[in-house]
Amino acid sequence: MSLRLRLLLMIGVSLSLLWGGVAVWMLRDLDDEMRRTLDQRLAMSARMVAGLISQNPAAWDTRSGTAGASTLTVPATAKGLACQVSSLRGEVLARTPGATSAAIATTTPGFAEREIDGERWRSYTVEAHGLRITTADRLAERNTLLRDVMAAAIVPFVVALIGSLMMLWIGVRSGLVPLERLRQALARRAPDALTPIPDAPMPRELQPLVGTLNQLLERMRVTISRERRFTSDAAHELRTPLTALKTHLQVARITHGKDAETALDYAEEGASRLQYTLQQLLTLAQVEGPFSWDESQRTYTDEVACLAMRDAAPDAPERVVLESDDPPVELALPQALAVTALRNLLDNALRHAPAHHSVELKIQSAHDTVCFRVCDSGPGLTPAELTRVTQRFWRRDAGRGSGLGLAIVVAVTERCGGSLALVQRPTGGLEASLTLPRAKRGSPLVS
Amino acid sequence: MRVLLVEDDDLIAHGIQAGLRARGLTVDGVKTAAQAETTLSAVHCDVVILDLGLPDEDGMSLLQRWRADDMALPVLVLTARDAVEDRVAGLRAGADDYLLKPFDLDELVARLHALLRRAAGRSVATIEQGALRLDPERGEVSLHGRPVVLSRRELALLGALLHARGRILSVDQLKDSLYGFSEEIESNALNVHIHHLRRKLGADLIETVRGVGYRFNMGDA
Repeated sequence: MSLRLRLLLMIGVSLSLLWGGVAVWMLRDLDDEMRRTLDQRLAMSARMVAGLISQNPAAWDTRSGTAGASTLTVPATAKGLACQVSSLRGEVLARTPGATSAAIATTTPGFAEREIDGERWRSYTVEAHGLRITTADRLAERNTLLRDVMAAAIVPFVVALIGSLMMLWIGVRSGLVPLERLRQALARRAPDALTPIPDAPMPRELQPLVGTLNQLLERMRVTISRERRFTSDAAHELRTPLTALKTHLQVARITHGKDAETALDYAEEGASRLQYTLQQLLTLAQVEGPFSWDESQRTYTDEVACLAMRDAAPDAPERVVLESDDPPVELALPQALAVTALRNLLDNALRHAPAHHSVELKIQSAHDTVCFRVCDSGPGLTPAELTRVTQRFWRRDAGRGSGLGLAIVVAVTERCGGSLALVQRPTGGLEASLTLPRAKRGSPLVS
Repeated sequence: MRVLLVEDDDLIAHGIQAGLRARGLTVDGVKTAAQAETTLSAVHCDVVILDLGLPDEDGMSLLQRWRADDMALPVLVLTARDAVEDRVAGLRAGADDYLLKPFDLDELVARLHALLRRAAGRSVATIEQGALRLDPERGEVSLHGRPVVLSRRELALLGALLHARGRILSVDQLKDSLYGFSEEIESNALNVHIHHLRRKLGADLIETVRGVGYRFNMGDA
């Protein structure tokens, strides 16, 4: 349902109900008041006639003696209003025309109501000075009068209500114009436009909305540009070894002998680099992506260390010195992820340590985490390099590694809730501490 | 033709150098913008191949600086960034040509020759001087319509002399266009090549200007 319709319905219906209720209440009061006033007037007329008679009661005494032979007729004063004066015995002494005897032949004092010739009359009788004075109203006349009064009250009321509903419609329409303008501005945008919505003058209520929208757009813009940069970087990283591979293959084709052999060797190196970069890219995508890993197999620190060492230094296993006093503990992440992270750290350490220098791997268990410490005796990193080292595709020197190793380690720690810390060792070289969470379900196993 | 290759990736640099040498070009390879500037100030090059991702400075800003300093050498930009805006920015910064990695070696060679030809103000691929005809791109030489077989160095020497159009080239200049700076040069190597050229193309084709250098005899070749 549109906002405009909701507003119109809500305000319109409540306005109509409220004012309708007020009108009904007012009309009922008015009706009661009118009836009471008319009754009072009826009674007052009767008393007034009684008062007139009391000024000269003698005249009426003689008339009452003549036993109603000639009835005094008083000219009609109002339509549907009748008056009759009679003796207490019932002889009519005077009456207005149109008032049938039966209509006002009431004997009991006070108000009475009766139906005569199909018309209802309301009468009031008072007894004074031996006379009985009755005044009567035709109810039809009374009702007509009441209806006229009601109509006079209700018509302006209905007109005002209709008028305010129309004003409401116009008001809501124009009040929602800024919203509609905003909608049009958004609808006109190109699908990939992520520039903020210009903060043209707009109502205070819309400003937070536009602000939030702009924040969202900005976040999207940042995310998209980061993804684009990553794609562009990835393309660059793949193109470089591919270029080397292709160039050397072409050189091999146009040269002979030793030159051609060298070119083929280089081409093979290019192919391995391409393969390695591709593998790292896929690993990163898997670690960051929504892929599920085989979690049926439990992960133990000793197995992780063993597999990572085997992967990192297949030819020279003695270059990694493992130091672990604690019994193996179970880790709360898939084995493949833990091995990948640790292998990348060992890879880096081995690559940067001087040849034939060993790399230390220490495993320390804490209450709910396990820390793998990899220490090398390489050149280490400058503080500026330390801040950039986990960025994707950052390398210290071109052509060595994929520039993704530490990015993958960080992605693994982000996925499982661990952490990676790189510290320059005081003795030279770098110490990388990979902290991984321990499994809750298992207790330390003794191997 | 002597090419300066500015490329930080060893594997690619090796490949391009080997490929261009096999195609008869003299190549100097450097890895950084600073080395490139030093090389350019020290030796004569005909064309520069510039990779944009250099470790010490962005190739684009290096190029802009060169052009601001009135460096007129043709520059071919080599890059792995293929977005249109990258290419436009490269050409705006003063690149004469743009080649996307991975490229075809033959295409690179053809583009280098085209750049050189344009820089020399020629519109056809071959250089003709009298009865002598040189196709630098294919490395083919003919005299009076008969093909003459020249070695790589002899071709480069002939190319340099023809490009000079009769101007005198010093021994150092000729050596610059024949050898990369990493190559060992024997002291009489240039004389040997001149001697071979004279033997194959005629004794009076290359004139010796005593104490100065050599020049191509434009009179009657």
